[in-house]
This record gives sequence, C-alpha cells and structure tokens, in this order.
Amino acid sequence: MTGAQRFRGQLVRILEYSVMAVMAALVIDVVWQVFTRYVIGRQSSWTEELATMLLMWGALLGAAVGFARNAHLGVDYLVNKLDSTSRRIVALYVHLATALFGSVMIWGGWKVVSGTLATNQISPALGLKMGYVYLAVPISGLFVLLFAAEAFREDWAREPKDL
Amino acid sequence: MEAVLVLVLCFAFLLAIHAPIAVAIGLSTFFALLTVGTIPASIVVAQRMATGIDSFSLLAIPFFILSGQLMGRGGMAMRLIDFAAALVGRFRGGLGYVNVLTCMLFGSISGSAAAAVSSVGGFMIPEMNRKGYDKNFNVAVTTTAATTGLMIPPSNIMIVYALASGGVSIAAMFLAGVLPGIVFGLALMIVSGFVSAKRGYGAGEPASVSQVIKSFGRAILSLMLIVIVLGGILGGVFTATEAAAISVVYALFLGMAVYREIGWGDLPDILLQSGITTGIVFLLIGTSSAMSWILAYENVPQRASASLLSFSDNPIIVLLIINAILLAVGVFMDMTPAVLIFTPIFLPVATALGMHPVHFGMVMIANLCIGLCTPPVGTCLFVGCGVGKTTIAEATGALIPFFGAMLLALAATAFLPELSLWLPRLSGLID
Repeated sequence: MTGAQRFRGQLVRILEYSVMAVMAALVIDVVWQVFTRYVIGRQSSWTEELATMLLMWGALLGAAVGFARNAHLGVDYLVNKLDSTSRRIVALYVHLATALFGSVMIWGGWKVVSGTLATNQISPALGLKMGYVYLAVPISGLFVLLFAAEAFREDWAREPKDL
Repeated sequence: MEAVLVLVLCFAFLLAIHAPIAVAIGLSTFFALLTVGTIPASIVVAQRMATGIDSFSLLAIPFFILSGQLMGRGGMAMRLIDFAAALVGRFRGGLGYVNVLTCMLFGSISGSAAAAVSSVGGFMIPEMNRKGYDKNFNVAVTTTAATTGLMIPPSNIMIVYALASGGVSIAAMFLAGVLPGIVFGLALMIVSGFVSAKRGYGAGEPASVSQVIKSFGRAILSLMLIVIVLGGILGGVFTATEAAAISVVYALFLGMAVYREIGWGDLPDILLQSGITTGIVFLLIGTSSAMSWILAYENVPQRASASLLSFSDNPIIVLLIINAILLAVGVFMDMTPAVLIFTPIFLPVATALGMHPVHFGMVMIANLCIGLCTPPVGTCLFVGCGVGKTTIAEATGALIPFFGAMLLALAATAFLPELSLWLPRLSGLID
C-alpha cells in the first residue's frame, strides 16, 4: 500500500466515524424534541435548529463518503458497450468532471461562507454563526476533489486491460 | 436560451459517460450559469446546494432511510412474506400474488424500492424458480411490484414533492398515495394471475384461518410502523419529521429487543450506510435545486406552460402530453432530481387546468415509478436482474404485460382525481 492510499484510507475512516456520529446525534436530537414537548411539556427551543445543522453536515459528509466508495448513482448503460481502452479514457473524464464539481463546491462554498460570516448572521436559538453551518459545502467539496484526484491517479496508472 | 441548451447538452453528455447523476446536474448547471455570463456561477451553485438541504421537513428523509435499514435487517421480509403467503397464497399462481403484496408492504415500510427488490426478491425469486415459475417472469413481478411501495406511505419521494411544490402538505401526499398504490398493486396482481393461469404455474397452497392469524400476529409489529407514522401525523401528534424519528426508535426497539436480529455491534454500520444513502439523496436534492434555479431564471416554466397550453387547452390532451414527457423523463432520470426539476415546470400548467397539486404529485410519482423499471436508469430493474440472475434483454419480454398494467393504473391515477384526493379530503387535509 502506498502512502497516498494509506492516507486516503485514514481520511475515509475519519469521515465515516463523523457521519455515524452525526446520524446518531440527529436521531437523539429530534427524539429529545418530541420528549420535551410531551413529557416535560415545553418544547426545547434549539432542537429544530440543531437538527437542520446536523443534516447539512451529515448529508454533505455522507455524500463525500459516497464518492470515496463509488456509491453515487450513474448511468452505465452506454459505457458498458465500450471496449476497455475507451472505458478507461471515459472514466478519466468522469474523474475530471467530479474534480471540477468538487472545486465548484470549494470555491463557491467558500464565497458563501465568507459572505455569510461577513454579515454576522447568527442562528436565532443557538447563537451560532450561520457561516459555520454552510462551511459543510466547501469542506465536502474538498473531499470530493481529493477522492476524484486519487481515483484519476489510480485509473491513469492502471493498464487498460485491468479494467 | 443558450444557457438552457448548454444545460441540456452538458447534462446529457455527463450522464452518457457514467458521471454520478449529482455531478452531472451540478456541473451542467454551473456551465449554464457561466453561459449567462452575469451570474457568479460557483456561488449560485454552492448557495442553492446549501439552502436546498437546509430544511426541517426534509429531515424526515434520513430518518425514514435509517428506519428502513433497521427494519430491512431485522427479519421483516420473512415475516411479511409469511403473512402474504397465508393471505393470498391459496390461489393458482399464488406466489406471484404473495410477491406483489409483500413488495407493497416492504416497500412502504422500508421506503426503498431497491431494498424491496433485493430483500423480498432475494427470497421470493429463487423460491418461485424452484416452484417452476419462469425466472424472467419472477424478476418482472418483483421489479414492478417494488415500485408500488413508493406510493404507499410513508414515502420519501412524497416529502421531496411536497417541498418542490411549495406548500402541499406531506400528510396529504401520504394519504393521497394509498389508493393509487393499491390500484397499481392490484393491476400487477391481475396480470400476474393471468400469466400464471395461462402458463399453468404453481397451484396455490391453502392456509387455514389459524395460520392467517398466526402469521398476522408475527407481522403486525412490522406493519405497526405504517400505523404509527400515519396515525401520528394525521392525529397531529407529531410532524412528519418527528414521526420519522419516532419510527427509527420503534424500528430499533423492534430489531434489538423484540426480534433480536440487530445487536449493538451492527449499529455503526447501519448508521454509516444510512448516512451514505442520505448523502447521495441530499447531493441530488442540493444540485437539483441549483438546476431548478437556473431554469426559473431562464423562464423555462413560463415558456413550457405557454407552449403546452398553446398546443391545446383541452385538459385531457395536455395531461396526456405531460404524462408522456414524465414517462420519458423517468426513463432517463432518477426520481428525486426528476421531481425537484420538473415540478416547478409542470405544476403551474396542471393547476392552470384545474388540477389539484396533490393529485398532480401522485400522477408525477406514478409516472416516475414506471421509469424505475425501464433501462437505462431503472434502478429497480438492475437490482432485480442481479438478484434473479438474468439480463435486462431477457427480462424485457416478461416485463411487457406488467408495463401494460402499470400504464393502465397510471391512466386511472391521472384521470380519476378522486382516487388520490378522496382520502386526504376525508381527513380534512385538503378542501
């Protein structure tokens, strides 16, 4: 295993643990909301806000893991009709497209984050800066870019007949 | 208008080379925005992605995904199959009926048509093969029946539609799906029975009343999930999101304490799988909402309704055209982006013709369900062919009568508004 692969493996592990933690926190948060309303009698004021923030981070990090595991849906109907040489070339284009998409998320996402931070917009119940919530977009984009670059490197090095 | 051309060409190209659909949607939107020139393209994409995801009502989706995972692993499929077998297994071609009924129930509870195909089909297809049913027939029954589960509540795609339509209640959509879902199921059962009779497939296996009761007793706890979610929402006890979170707790309790098929050690993987599925769905939601922004910016909804209404002002003809377009869309596009992108385009036309938004949503979802069983993007069909060890080319012949049934059921959904509207109206959810 090369250093790059080991690094990628550890990165994916960290991402996966984060996704698990966020999903568990989401369930606890909304169940707590129902509990406070019916058992304590007064609905907690921050649960709804926290839930949407957790969703933003959980979904975007989950999407990044999806790229690492090649789990996103696509249409392989036409590609399957190609011979292995052309399939490798097409795959390289897909990695490039994915990397560009990741870059759009990083660049545009960073602009959104810095713009929101500049307005000092604060979430009503928790008092968190909204910019940090949107930070999930460029961070997820960074992982998308990394995984696409790694996949590109792997397919580039691979002999056409291995595909 | 060039922007729209760029959008369509770019999207088609990326789709054709097997780029992830979310990437195809996001990048084609990015290039379309660049074509317009005056818009900060990457900022709009990122902004729309963020605001598209940022919604409390969408939060029900990860919870339904999670409870579907929990229920799917916890031995629910076998319990539902036993119950369906006791109920409808007594007739000739009985396993076909059992398969359809189980897929309807499983698809409803798990919320995933693909999971229904793999879990129910994984047992039913080999079983039917062994009893002499043709394997392509078995794949066709399972694949088409699994999609009906998306119409029977709870259903994530209806939450997505409620969001896209801007103001339709999730509860109304949930109730609206019940009868059309049953009509689809019945239509498939009729075709299955007809083919079975013609080919002389397996005699039924009668079940005694006590067997029916016993199997119902074992399945009732799984079926209760539907009752808890629907009852909770309709009774005003929870919002849809809260009902979904409660369904996770219920599924957890059922899988760990009652059925004892899920241990603590399984939970991390279940959470991770649900998180990844959530990520996949939400990346589609985020990028689709960016795409529908550029379409709105380019006045595509107005142009589409003007050209549709100038073509004909006969509601039936316009509805037929919309159905034809949606069927074609469903063939090439996954359900979630299709709903998010085409609702803003067609809903204004439908309401201009006097169609209720809830009814239109059902018609749209029914159309897109059919697309799940057709190549080249038919997720259900791919899973079904994998499970049934056949190819799409071989299964196509067996699928044709089932497509016929689905198209008839679709026509019923489209032209009998009361099928969708009666239950929500009865519960006072719509006027």
